[in-house]
Amino acid sequence: MAVDAIAATISELAPLLRRKKISPVELTRLYLERAKRLNPHLNAYTTLTEEQALADAARAEREIHQSLYRGPLHGIPFSIKDNLSTRGIRTTAGSKILADWVPDFDATAVQRVKAAGAILLGKTNMHEWALGGTTINPFYGTTHNPWNVDYIAGGSSGGSAAAVAADLCLASIGTDSAQSVRNPASMCGIVGLKPTYGRVSQFGTVAGTGAYSTNHIGLLTRTVEDCALVLQTIAGHDPKDPLSAHAPVPNFSLGIGKAVKGMKVGILRGYFDAFIAKEVSASVCQAVAALNSLGMQTEEVTTPHLDLIPAIKVCTSRVENAAAHDPYLRTKANEYSKATLHSYIAALLTPATTYVMAQRARRIVCDEFDELLKRVQLLILPTIGFPVPTIEQCQAGYVEFDGKKIPRQDCRGGLESFCCIPFNVTGLPAISLCCGFSQSGLPLGLQIVAGSFQEPLLFQVAHAYERLTEWYRRRPALPA
Amino acid sequence: MEEQLRKLNREYAFNLSEAEIQAITRRAEEFERLFSCLYEVDLSDTTPLLKLDKRP
Repeated sequence: MAVDAIAATISELAPLLRRKKISPVELTRLYLERAKRLNPHLNAYTTLTEEQALADAARAEREIHQSLYRGPLHGIPFSIKDNLSTRGIRTTAGSKILADWVPDFDATAVQRVKAAGAILLGKTNMHEWALGGTTINPFYGTTHNPWNVDYIAGGSSGGSAAAVAADLCLASIGTDSAQSVRNPASMCGIVGLKPTYGRVSQFGTVAGTGAYSTNHIGLLTRTVEDCALVLQTIAGHDPKDPLSAHAPVPNFSLGIGKAVKGMKVGILRGYFDAFIAKEVSASVCQAVAALNSLGMQTEEVTTPHLDLIPAIKVCTSRVENAAAHDPYLRTKANEYSKATLHSYIAALLTPATTYVMAQRARRIVCDEFDELLKRVQLLILPTIGFPVPTIEQCQAGYVEFDGKKIPRQDCRGGLESFCCIPFNVTGLPAISLCCGFSQSGLPLGLQIVAGSFQEPLLFQVAHAYERLTEWYRRRPALPA
Repeated sequence: MEEQLRKLNREYAFNLSEAEIQAITRRAEEFERLFSCLYEVDLSDTTPLLKLDKRP
């Protein structure tokens, strides 16, 4: 093969595939072999679809040779989180209840990437029912961080992030109801995007793996440029999803490479500041300096009712999820892990009036963010407030930073979600990308946020930062 | 809260142990305290946001 296809990105490989310099079959075989070799160490995939992947790659090769090139994802190996329905392929949602469920349809996002000619390698591991940020799964095992297998890969889309970071695929599609794409992307040192609410159809996402009000389909890729290419393929209204937006789909790559000088960026301050470790703070300060060096203006900002966000998020998500689980709670309660079951039962005790109050308060919070984003164009903050915890720490229920040992969860949810949830509540697009490494050698993430449907701006700034700092060039040391 | 939970336990046939009932009750009470801030905001003229359907 003419290039190091394992180290290359989608934007580098796509022109080579189009010009027939690379064979989709060879590329797919390369990634499958690597996945089979490394998956026993990482547990990123729950299902590998080798036979189908090779058949799809052969078809892509035939089409490209007949000059029927479909676009930049044609022949590109990718993976899908196991809560997105895949026709003919087991879709477990990380649960025991759906262990043997084989859908007879594809989720819209899956259908769109397949139609673009991408090659599905398999389904990735996730937190049980997407209800957590560790991907320590009692039924399908723990996903390990490719940078150090003693550490968590994050979650709930932990398998997707580990697969991309370890070069077991070039991109993955996940879901994000509280943090679930950005958290594992941050912990694994890759790019994770939660687009604007409604930008991507949620049709085919397993019910009960993300609340109606706060869930989003998201993307995990190695670079910002790749992220824009994949979003281009899956974005747009879907009549099958009444919550998908009618917003026009712009060229998401249009701003990439353009100057960002003069843009105003708010450094968001709020309730999460109490849970930000010194080394995370330092890396965000360096990121601010980098943005300043690109000519951007930065200032500290907040919103008046930011403190309401954990209550709004927890109330809406827990209640909506519990409603989705009601049939299983009545018939298969013993097939949940105890922790998940207890969480849903506690949610059943929330009064309906409280749910409505949360949705009313959400409007206030959203309006305030819209006002703030008239004053500054973008917001930045850490993706996670502290360095990646070990698997052992998470199993023991705590995280440790700055000499403090803190319970990993309280009634607001996992501490690692605190910087992410404002954008699930508001639906604003948010991207996480690597902004350095902790003393333990694990990646740290910077979150950049824009106004609704401003993904092109998000990509423009994220790309400028990515190319300036070049953190994305660092790769985990895994067997070749 | 505990009585409500016991009723749910019967209705859904969860077969929760006494220790589980106590643990879930404590968690539900923590949620209740967390949600109390939603009742301290003036929401008199605010309608619920049930669909984020913003257009650029």
